[in-house]
Amino acid sequence: MKRFILVISLVSASLALAAQENGYVTGSFETNNHLYVDDQVNDFVSDEDRIGSNNYLKVDYYNGNFSAGMQLESYLPAQIGFPEELSKYALSNLYVNWKDDAFQVTAGTFYDQFGSGLLFRSWEDRLLGLNNALMGARFAYNWEDKVAFKAIWGMPRLGMEFTDTQVRGADLSISLSNIIGLDDILLSVEGSLLNKYAKIGIDAEEAGGKPNSLGFSGRLNFDWNGFFAKGEYVDLGKKLVALETKHGNAQLLELGYNGRGLGVTMTGRRLEWMGQNILANSTSSANLMSYVPAMSTQYTYMLTTLHPYNPQVGDASTMAFNSGEIGGQIDAFYNFRRGTAIGGKRGMKVHANFSTYYTLAQEGTAQAGNLLFRDFSFDVERQWTKEFKMVLLYSLQEYNPGYGQYKTTWLSNIFVADLLYKWTSQLSTRLELQYLKTYEDKKDWMAALLEVNFAPHWSVWGSDMYNHGMTKKHYYNFGVSYAKGRTRVALGYGRYKDGFICSGGVCRSIPQYTGANFTVTTSF
Amino acid sequence: MRTFLLSIALFISAVCAAQVPSVTVENAKGEAFDTKTLLEEGTPMIISFWSTSCKPCIRELDAVYDALPDWLEEADFRVVAVSTDDSRLLAKAKSFAQGRGWGEDFQLLFDKNQDFMRAMNVSVVPHVFVVDGKGKVVYSHTSYVPGNEIELFEAIKKCSK
Repeated sequence: MKRFILVISLVSASLALAAQENGYVTGSFETNNHLYVDDQVNDFVSDEDRIGSNNYLKVDYYNGNFSAGMQLESYLPAQIGFPEELSKYALSNLYVNWKDDAFQVTAGTFYDQFGSGLLFRSWEDRLLGLNNALMGARFAYNWEDKVAFKAIWGMPRLGMEFTDTQVRGADLSISLSNIIGLDDILLSVEGSLLNKYAKIGIDAEEAGGKPNSLGFSGRLNFDWNGFFAKGEYVDLGKKLVALETKHGNAQLLELGYNGRGLGVTMTGRRLEWMGQNILANSTSSANLMSYVPAMSTQYTYMLTTLHPYNPQVGDASTMAFNSGEIGGQIDAFYNFRRGTAIGGKRGMKVHANFSTYYTLAQEGTAQAGNLLFRDFSFDVERQWTKEFKMVLLYSLQEYNPGYGQYKTTWLSNIFVADLLYKWTSQLSTRLELQYLKTYEDKKDWMAALLEVNFAPHWSVWGSDMYNHGMTKKHYYNFGVSYAKGRTRVALGYGRYKDGFICSGGVCRSIPQYTGANFTVTTSF
Repeated sequence: MRTFLLSIALFISAVCAAQVPSVTVENAKGEAFDTKTLLEEGTPMIISFWSTSCKPCIRELDAVYDALPDWLEEADFRVVAVSTDDSRLLAKAKSFAQGRGWGEDFQLLFDKNQDFMRAMNVSVVPHVFVVDGKGKVVYSHTSYVPGNEIELFEAIKKCSK
């Protein structure tokens, strides 16, 4: 204990002394704890530990152009459903960085991405248990916002350790509009190169696989008076999938208009053998070196998230063989202003989305095969009075339970009412009522949530999701939270169904469980 | 033990001086934007981190948007809304912000790989900061329930005096 206090004293004192000359220290702490409880109704028996505890301490020091920092993580043990390689504790991030108007140099751990991340992305998502930070070095140069260049080298992290996979990459962005001197237009061309060295097995070697791979991407960005267009082509080169040589490639196109209370975005994307892992032999959900998200609405209401869409990047390892997907979406947002006939006294906001994705019928083509996922949603939000606000949502979701292997699809109609009422300036309640109608899977569901907020600190909630169509099971959740300044403490208890936890369209599967949870997040 | 307490006190004094670091994000047009240029105007500002899938964030920014004309009569400040949506929802976040009218009154920034969020040590959204005219963080709050905006306005009023 004495030694621990001495270390804390030394670190605190040295950081504080370093901060005296125009510098400062900032950081955050987060602890998420579960206490599991056996629950026959939920078919859940906790293991011997009965607890799951994920903890993160991050500290950064800034002084002018210089910064340095570290992150300490512990999993004592990791919560249920998290990647199993997360265990015990580690000083996971450690970096020094220097940045001015033109140059940036980083040594140690860092996060970065090229373009949309389809070629390369390193990032942290604590909800997924994912942290693929690179341990290495980065150099970036920016010439008066006309040309930006970046070079990276490093070893990506998987679980608690940095792997022996090596990543080298370069990214170049040329702003033609800034070079020519066009003020109203943005026009830029960009490109990236990525070399990866990852050990492969003897089988893969005999089948012609190579540890070195080279990928590249080319991008074009355009924006004029709110109209925008973005195009990206990604090529992962030849790669070995289930001992067969495949060509990884993707095309992404985004078009739209933003202005005058209207926002419209159209996205089209084709993926073919786009899975890119850190290690060849790991099945971990965190074994990712690029970001291939689901380009569809990210729902948040309970019954709308039962079957989130998980993009098909190309899979030869299961019965549901597919080489990728093709599809698109359109999103439209509009704000009926205050004082207009439809907007009324306080305005009204509407949003509609449609997305549809198919398997690739044939490799190397853009032919659509079986339907993978399709949804349509419409929501309207209106502040009726100073006290009362209402959101109504309708969502039609159709998904392929065989991940494209068969033509069979399941369809759900989901209705949500979200009603917020402010009783006083400090007391408010929010009620969610939800219904899911389907003739497939587990048939119909209903759900409700009531939240009572006592500003500025307290919030109490209770919810229940009930499958009255088949299983007759309740999935309840209740809790209380207290927030003051930068700190939030929450305590809850609930029964959770199996399914997927998704963040940004990347998902990890979780088993059902029942138990209490205790969370503290704070920063300084 | 005295040494330990002294070190912690020194550490806290260093922590109190938190500022806005230099991080490259995107503006609404898609151009690179250095966050340190936020300080050039020398006026107080609210920096609010949000995402399209975070309902409390949207409620908080809507509350600020609705109250802004009244607030600006009493204090001189800006609102900077930083979307933490990644490339999946980046284009949608820009359309979303326009569809709520935020683009007219807020400065919109987009932090697609959460670099600014990490540099400001934001663990979860919503998270708001009040930064005074000298660039020093004088107030910070995580989470939002209706009514929290009153405390936020009190903080911005104090530093615009």
